[in-house]
Amino acid sequence: MASPATATQPSGANSGMAAFTQEWANALTGTSYLPMTQAQLKKLLNRLARQLATALLAEPFDLRAGQRVGTELVAAHIASAEALGRTVEVVQLRLVRDLGLVAEDVTDRLARLLAAVTTGYTRALRDRTLDEQESIRRAAMAQRTEAERALRASEARFRHQATHDALTDLPNRNLFTERLTAVLEAPQRDTDRVGLCFLDLDQFKRVNDLHGHQAGDRVLTEVANRLRQALAGHLVARLGGDAFVILIERTGGTRDVIAVAEAALAAVHEPAAVAGQEVTVRTSIGIVERQVAGASANELMRAADCTLHWAKAAGGGRWTLYDAERDRQELTRQALTAAIPPGLDRGEFYLDYQPLASLRDGRLLGVEALVRWRHPELGVLRPDRFIGLAEETGLIVPLGRWVLAEACRAAGSWSVTGGTPFVSVNLAVRQVHRPGLVDEVRNILRCTGLPPERLQLEITESAMMSPAEEPVRALRCLADLGVRIAIDDFGTGYSNLAYLRDLPVTELKVAGEFVAGLRAQEPQADERIVASLVSLAHALDLTVTAEGVETAGQAERLRAIGCDAGQGWHFGRPEPADRILARLS
Amino acid sequence: MRRPDWAPDDIDIERPSVARMYDYYLGGSHNFAADRAAAQAMVAAVPEAPLMAQANRAFLRRAVHFLADAGVRQFLDIGSGIPTVGNVHEIVQQVAPDSRVVYVDTDPVAVAHSQEILADNDQATVVQEDLRRPDRILGHPELRRLLDLNQPTAVLIVAVLHFVSDDDRPAELLRTLRDALAPGSWLVLSQASDEGRPDSERSDAEAVYRRTGSPLWFRDRSELTTLFDGFELAEPGVVWVPQWRPETPESSVNAEASAFLGGVGRIGG
Repeated sequence: MASPATATQPSGANSGMAAFTQEWANALTGTSYLPMTQAQLKKLLNRLARQLATALLAEPFDLRAGQRVGTELVAAHIASAEALGRTVEVVQLRLVRDLGLVAEDVTDRLARLLAAVTTGYTRALRDRTLDEQESIRRAAMAQRTEAERALRASEARFRHQATHDALTDLPNRNLFTERLTAVLEAPQRDTDRVGLCFLDLDQFKRVNDLHGHQAGDRVLTEVANRLRQALAGHLVARLGGDAFVILIERTGGTRDVIAVAEAALAAVHEPAAVAGQEVTVRTSIGIVERQVAGASANELMRAADCTLHWAKAAGGGRWTLYDAERDRQELTRQALTAAIPPGLDRGEFYLDYQPLASLRDGRLLGVEALVRWRHPELGVLRPDRFIGLAEETGLIVPLGRWVLAEACRAAGSWSVTGGTPFVSVNLAVRQVHRPGLVDEVRNILRCTGLPPERLQLEITESAMMSPAEEPVRALRCLADLGVRIAIDDFGTGYSNLAYLRDLPVTELKVAGEFVAGLRAQEPQADERIVASLVSLAHALDLTVTAEGVETAGQAERLRAIGCDAGQGWHFGRPEPADRILARLS
Repeated sequence: MRRPDWAPDDIDIERPSVARMYDYYLGGSHNFAADRAAAQAMVAAVPEAPLMAQANRAFLRRAVHFLADAGVRQFLDIGSGIPTVGNVHEIVQQVAPDSRVVYVDTDPVAVAHSQEILADNDQATVVQEDLRRPDRILGHPELRRLLDLNQPTAVLIVAVLHFVSDDDRPAELLRTLRDALAPGSWLVLSQASDEGRPDSERSDAEAVYRRTGSPLWFRDRSELTTLFDGFELAEPGVVWVPQWRPETPESSVNAEASAFLGGVGRIGG
């Protein structure tokens, strides 16, 4: 730089510089946040003041120095409109005077230098503003991108959580149903076939009971992993508890699904280590395989579930294939069972009676009450259609109570000169074993006015097979009341002679199948059996009624053997009591 | 249904952010129209608002210098906001380059901005968390990565505690932080106070900040002093922030105009 020729900077300017710098610093205070100490600020301003002073006197006059000072101020964060205004003011008023600067055109130069400072400052401030704006926009954008990514991730997580089982991470029922529905609604549904394997661990409750729920959870996780591994390519879902399902798409037939079921069985049946012990887990599988066309998800799931129960009922540890006919029968049985209670309420049941006749003189001794069901849709049903169902479900108790009460009510109203017939009513095993049977019978007799000796209760041998004493006591009480006790179908069960000795039985009813053998011309084994039964019964002071007597010949032989009474078509089919009574009068 | 912790926050730059308003007070341009509108409303209500922010920032600078001189090398700046000028890491890493700084803010944009600024600084990091969840701050893997809480650490809660209401139990929050700190650790606190200010001004300021979703909660000198429970207050105690170890006597003139009280305390031992 050339030394100033026409201007000088007097000595003693140092004190002037200090005063100017202090004045400048004071002017800047409060204009914006200054990230520096007072000392640092004064050092900076001192340097900039020197640059301005030098520029003011320099030859040639260089405006860029002013711009640099403006830029430096902004770079040092002295960056506000107020800071610029005060800088211009202080420099204008004080710089030349405080520093004792002398030059002929100094006023002129100062104005142009300040203009350059302002230009440099404004430019830098504008750039800085734009930079900061860009930077905060970028941050907002980055944040938005991150938020969107997080949202997508959380949506994926939500979706996974909503469609997967927390314990095993297998697809859950929702996802399974979704996939199954998609298969059933696929465009190629007319030609495709689809298969389901419903799988349920056998006696899983025992694992929980024996080893605790944590062990149970470990077994479920292990089973899930094995199924996932063994059946890669098929959707394996956990439906809840220990129930799993496998979806087999585009099967070529039953065999494909059976192969999957076999693989699943093999995978699950590998022993597993639970709580330090080796536990063998077994499973049952219900298989459904059919055309997609016409199938519904609900119906497939129900069929597979029902087939699973067949597999369980058959002993477990196996697969079972869906059988539509069996399913239909079971559904009918279920529907029939469900209709029994409302049928009772609506009075759909009624009684027919079949004569029991003396073989000696053909006189009517009694009638057996036989229940009928006038079903609103199926018509009149015989007991073989519904008694078994009622016995399985326990509905036999209310039904049997109704039969007993109705038979007694009817019999109580009969009156026949020369001997009113007794009424014989079948008691189911459950009825015999129920406490309160005696009270029930006693009540019914009291309410209907039927003399006890005109009621006969038929029980089967099996009713007496249990070791419980209660039934025996009950029968004794009933016998003490004067009620007749008959053993039904004698000779077909265990024919335990001990209870014949101990029980207050009054009569044996010999099963019809022995009587059927009496048709033959020659005396056969059946005849000898019946003869032995009759002599045995008589030896015990019991009377004998032969069931299923269909011909006069059979009746003749039975009389010859010494049998007391007969029942069967030969003596009359079951019919309403009033018809039987009408014939007697 | 309650939003799970891992579900994303909403962001809305149409809503003023207290971090970006603070940047505006300090003369920065890291702000959006909504922030400027709110900040201008605040300046209309309280004309000294920018000076208050500057006074706070200067207090932070002096306090951090003081701590760096005292040998502290770990800093946890909670409520750090938009890193404009004079950030803690800029101050301390000049004095001691091995110093480590963890910034914490709840504002996602402020955090994203900090991440950009700190991208090349492996001695400083930022965590998005809320002062009201000190356990999560202390357990954050980024904090654990950078700070060893067995060594003296300075916790800075500067110009942010007035966003924590008494319902959020500030004393408990501070106790949780204090219990996690080693002996020789420090606490720097400052917050807005309405001591000696007209009611109308206070209610106007409150109205502005209610719009931000971060309502103001003023505290007086005794309340702030109580929050230093378990710390030994360094001289001159809890004061108007310009009075805290001023560089020059004249810079603490008219100190109460700053409306901010602050102090620095140390865990003995």
